[in-house]
Amino acid sequence: MNRNTIRKAGTVLLCGLWLALSVTAWFHRPVEISTSERRKLAQLPPFQKSSFLNGSFSSAFENYAADQFPAREAFREIKSHFQRNILGQMDNNGVYIQNGFAAKIEYPLNTASVEHAIGRFQKIYRDNLENTDCRMFFALVPDKGYYLAPTGGYPRLDYTAMTHAIAEALPTFDMISLFGTLDIDDYYRTDPHWRQECLLPAADAICKEIGIPPASHQSYGKVPWDVPFYGVYRGQGALSMAPDQIVTMENSLLDACRVYNYETNQYTTIYDSSKKSSLDPYDIYLSGASALLRIENPLSQNDRHLILFRDSFGSSIAPLLVHGYKTVTLVDIRYISSGILDRFLTFSNQDVLFLYSTTVLNNSSAMK
Amino acid sequence: MLFSGIPFLFYFLPAVLILYFLAPNSLKNTVLLLSSLIFYAWGEPKYVILMVFSILLYYAFGLLIARSEGRCKKCWLILSVITGAALLGIFKYCDFFLSSFNEAFGTSLPLLKLALPIGISFYTFQCISYTVDIYRGDAKAQTDLVAFGTFVSIFPQLIAGPIVRYVDVENDLISRSHTFENFAEGIPRFLTGLGKKVLLANNLALLVRTFRESPAPSVVFYWLYAIAFTLHIYFDFSGYSDMAIGLGRIYGFHFPENFNYPYVSRSITEFWRRWHMTLSRWFRDYVYIPLGGNRVDFLRWVRNIFLVWMLTGLWHGAAWNFVLWGLLFAMMLVLEKRIPSLRALPGFWGHIYVMFVVTLSFVLFNADSLSQAVGDIRGLFGAGGLPFVNQAALYYLRSNAVLLLLSAVGATPGPRNLLLRFQKRMGGGVLEFLRPAALAVLLLVCTAYLVDGSYNPFLYFRF
Repeated sequence: MNRNTIRKAGTVLLCGLWLALSVTAWFHRPVEISTSERRKLAQLPPFQKSSFLNGSFSSAFENYAADQFPAREAFREIKSHFQRNILGQMDNNGVYIQNGFAAKIEYPLNTASVEHAIGRFQKIYRDNLENTDCRMFFALVPDKGYYLAPTGGYPRLDYTAMTHAIAEALPTFDMISLFGTLDIDDYYRTDPHWRQECLLPAADAICKEIGIPPASHQSYGKVPWDVPFYGVYRGQGALSMAPDQIVTMENSLLDACRVYNYETNQYTTIYDSSKKSSLDPYDIYLSGASALLRIENPLSQNDRHLILFRDSFGSSIAPLLVHGYKTVTLVDIRYISSGILDRFLTFSNQDVLFLYSTTVLNNSSAMK
Repeated sequence: MLFSGIPFLFYFLPAVLILYFLAPNSLKNTVLLLSSLIFYAWGEPKYVILMVFSILLYYAFGLLIARSEGRCKKCWLILSVITGAALLGIFKYCDFFLSSFNEAFGTSLPLLKLALPIGISFYTFQCISYTVDIYRGDAKAQTDLVAFGTFVSIFPQLIAGPIVRYVDVENDLISRSHTFENFAEGIPRFLTGLGKKVLLANNLALLVRTFRESPAPSVVFYWLYAIAFTLHIYFDFSGYSDMAIGLGRIYGFHFPENFNYPYVSRSITEFWRRWHMTLSRWFRDYVYIPLGGNRVDFLRWVRNIFLVWMLTGLWHGAAWNFVLWGLLFAMMLVLEKRIPSLRALPGFWGHIYVMFVVTLSFVLFNADSLSQAVGDIRGLFGAGGLPFVNQAALYYLRSNAVLLLLSAVGATPGPRNLLLRFQKRMGGGVLEFLRPAALAVLLLVCTAYLVDGSYNPFLYFRF
């Protein structure tokens, strides 16, 4: 073959690849959900004159074209590999791997966001807790960066500043420090959350501060779930990582408990096996995100009640606090306005614990 | 529509190419014109009317100038230039002048708050050059409205140049050849530009954005930002120019080069012969030389230089930092003229001098306001007790070291020379095998970045 023929053949093959990708994109059957990223994918927007003229059609179409591109997951992995192995970038989409754990760079401290969250907490205090005999506590859950960032040289939050801001804004709350009770092995490798089977020391620390007896560690059995748990960081960073495993802490007390959901008016169990096949198997704990739940402990020997203001980290630790209470009520103000809590709850002589991850406080715009 | 976007790469471009090459020669310009208007309307549905208005207006101006004589001819020319300046004035500069006036005199004149039509600076300059060239007798008026409309609106260079003068493409507009050779040269050029934009410029842009969002600056972080932005603007803009030139070639057009490795320059004078060459040429031919160029006494020459560079700054944006950016270069050019040794610094020191001035200039260029520009420049030199380095700066330096190194090397002719040497040693046949494979990988990796929804703005859209 002479040079000219090789050149022509090369150009034809290149154009063929381009055209094949284009034609595949044109006729690709739209997918509804990205399981790895746990989000709905953009669909073909309807063409309307008004949406075209105001530019919303073109931007919606651009989202659709990127979201519905054929072999999208494979392309995302190519990008992740190129980004980390060729360009030498230490993170992809802000997600990095250190010591076998995937974590997201949570930096810098978003003071506006922290102030917004504190504002919500102060409002809850003023509207519901001030001048009551409730005992108030606050616990911060560190993100994985707290443990991983220093070893890899990654930037991380200013945890001291965050803790200080909260303590200063909520002087009547007792601060519970969980930072020393955890280490990186207490978190999933592919997900931001902590592993329930590792939380007994953290639960003990909370019990001690609040003044309830710690649970007997021996009373729990560890039950692994036969479902591969691909955490959210694996999807966001398009990483090739082995799945984690969900393990629940179970005993007869938790088996006897019932969980009342204020939104559905239905009772469920502490561990919801129907969530095994959901997009996020972490939803096994208390059935996942919910505005208002009440765990009822029929075996309780006392009349103590806990109100737990929480994010998703609260779902897995709450069962480990149940033994000390007759009821544990979980409130997630990302799904219910803090201004209408008095319609559902009466604040009197309870323990009130605010338990929030640093990640949520640093990205608190959803808090109402 | 972005060249470096999925809708363009995998929907618009293949569809238009198929239509274009299926169309008979007599309809090829029509296909290009209509597709260009759709391309423009995708991002600017309302301002496509302004584009059509400009096409019709300058088509008429061209004919009127060509068919008039004497003072009448001059009047049409002046009217065409004033119209172009007025369009730019209304859509691009009016609010800048009004707000500056309000600030200076404490008034509160209402602002127009018009959105800047994409690419208006580029196509208006092309229209003005068209009528001036006809007036000077350098070009003939185009009687074919479709051909003229294609010249003004042709999508490969519509948004961000290069600034194509009518005389550059006069022959191509009427009769151009569609050869496999053009296609085979256009595709690699386009993909090279795409790679520059998606793999280098976008990643550098992320570093720039990260710096802006960081609450903990340090001297090292400021320099990291300044260097990243200097490389970013080069790869963003030259990448777009490569894509435009490559696309033009596919359609049989020969657009002028816009960049020639500007960061290897050893003087600012040389830098501006290598950076945004079509803009420099435009200002030289239509402003600087008509003002007398350098064939005047020193003071008038200094005035010409400052005027041209103030306009160059303003062309880039309606803000005082752009004016100062232009004036900084005017000052450097005057200095180099008066102190010839500045233009003759030994190799390494010449590069250092140019890169220092250019990097500082781009810090000024990229500031949102004059106060931010001053803050950034102070930060570069550690003013105000800024720490030399911090955790964030070290991380982003480490994380972006390869990217910065690749970008710095890629901004020189080194890789091209290496390729030529390789070709010479191994024979062209090996490269002919490797090239399409490398380009296919480049296309796939760029697609991977776009699919993952990376940061993807084009800097020069705003001009």
